Amino acid sequence: MNRLLPLIQNETLKIWKKKRFFVIVLVLLTLIPIFTYAQLRITETNKKNFKDWRNQLVQQISEYQNTLSSDRIPDEWKRSRQIAVQQLQYYLDHDVNPNSPDGVTFTRIFLSNAVTLFFPLLVLALASDLVSGERTSGTIKMLLTRPVRRWKILFSKLVALSLYVSLTVVVSAVLCYLISGALLGYNGWGMPVFTGFFINGSSVESGLVHAIPQWLYLLMEAGLIWVSAMTVALLALMVSVLVRSTAGSIVTMMAAVISGTILSSMASSWHSAKFIFSVNLQLTDYLAGSPPPITGMSLGFSLVILACWGIISLVVSFSVFTRQDILN
Amino acid sequence: MRPLSSENLWRIIGISAVLSTLLLLAGFGFAVKDMLYPKGEVFEGRANVPALPAGGKLSEGKDIAITAIGDSLTKGTGDASGEGYVKQVVALLKQKYPDTSVRLNNNLAVNGLKADRLEQLLETDKGYSFALRQANVIVFTIGGNDLFQIASGTSPVKAAGELNLNKLKAELPKDLKRLAHVLKRLHAINPNVQVVYVGLYNPFYDIPEYRGGSLQIQQWNERAYALLHQYPNMTMVPTFDLFENAIGRYLSSDHFHPNHDGYAQIAARIVQSLE
Repeated sequence: MNRLLPLIQNETLKIWKKKRFFVIVLVLLTLIPIFTYAQLRITETNKKNFKDWRNQLVQQISEYQNTLSSDRIPDEWKRSRQIAVQQLQYYLDHDVNPNSPDGVTFTRIFLSNAVTLFFPLLVLALASDLVSGERTSGTIKMLLTRPVRRWKILFSKLVALSLYVSLTVVVSAVLCYLISGALLGYNGWGMPVFTGFFINGSSVESGLVHAIPQWLYLLMEAGLIWVSAMTVALLALMVSVLVRSTAGSIVTMMAAVISGTILSSMASSWHSAKFIFSVNLQLTDYLAGSPPPITGMSLGFSLVILACWGIISLVVSFSVFTRQDILN
Repeated sequence: MRPLSSENLWRIIGISAVLSTLLLLAGFGFAVKDMLYPKGEVFEGRANVPALPAGGKLSEGKDIAITAIGDSLTKGTGDASGEGYVKQVVALLKQKYPDTSVRLNNNLAVNGLKADRLEQLLETDKGYSFALRQANVIVFTIGGNDLFQIASGTSPVKAAGELNLNKLKAELPKDLKRLAHVLKRLHAINPNVQVVYVGLYNPFYDIPEYRGGSLQIQQWNERAYALLHQYPNMTMVPTFDLFENAIGRYLSSDHFHPNHDGYAQIAARIVQSLE
């Protein structure tokens, strides 16, 4: 243990000095204002067209119902629309605005949209060259000639990575709130959000629905995002150990993550796709009660799948890293 | 500013990262607990009932809010510009009353809506009641889908082939009863509003075998008028005459819904009836 802490410190400072975290903050600082502005425009248009958010919501429900009567819409869409209609109706019946224009709501929606693609991307920026980068620059020899067990080196890298993943999630949420709040207002912490929608086919059972304050919802959402981001981080670490070049390891992971988002939008009939990690990344959907990409998936299922992928990649990373020969 | 020493930098990053991790783990714990062992509880929303706008003449009020409900005719199906009669009514009312603000509150029409479903929506849907209570003009169409019994999905042209005039006759009393319920609900929700019901027309007038259907349609219109007549704030505008000789000019290519010009004629009539 006394040797481990300095190693972790070293790895943490290395990531910091490589300015990876600055890149992430910079990306967030560029993207969030853009989305906030888009949201502001939507809010303004809605204010012009609708006297009250209830009018807007009832109009939205009516429009969804109109698309349901069309024959050209695929059944899968219809199902998700039917579910959306019932949830919006629940909000309307209980007089709660699901899209209130404020900083906290914006943060909640931004985070849940970012979980499948944006956060994995940020994590890849941190994780992809963790080992392969040392190889490309040749510093791995320096690292491995020190009188430290190899697993300790990889473990310290893993801990440093986890620390940055946590920081990324928290900093994203904080920046999102601070920036969007400037335009949309800093309130919305206590607003009730409904969770516990149980989806059965195309109908929503609302027996277990309960309201939680939005701050708690946001915290829960961030926790779920952290779990899926950590799974991506573990996989990226494994790929970084296996693939010798940094570019190769980024491309491999990007392909895996992107194929997952494509699959979840089209693979509803291919049931075994639910065992792929990237199809399970959207954990926040379970909280919101949106239908899962493939029927039969649940929070427990997704967590188990993600845990399996995480454990496998840990085992592979450690066994390969401790045994492989370092050649040039 | 002097750069931070490595020691201090590590301390800052380390402590904030560990705190973040703990926070996120707590959030994850809450989420899992909440999702795996959910406890349903009744959420008592505040009941929100908007104040009824004052009744009386539109020209004397400060603003006009229109809520439209009903089937595809109110939706504006068949109008290539997407305006339907509802948006044209808004535009015409703006011309008629330049000093008042005219606004479309909501157009909640759903394609293929039948009278029984509308009755149900008026009965249970809080959003409908909300939007209707804010209005001082309600325009609506209903009954077309009930009478023609067009199964959703079949194109209206094909439906003409399935049209059975005897069945039409048999459906009439049942559907009128539903219309009576709809009117009763409308009156209960908002008694001050001016309600305009758009009468039915026979879209198959130019097909010799179905010309007779017009008589049934006319019967519907007459009985519907009798129902509307019970409420002094409700009225009906006829449309059947538009789609007899000028059927080619006013009907859209699906041979069932009006086109833009057809809706314009309906809109003009609605605006004439409002004061």
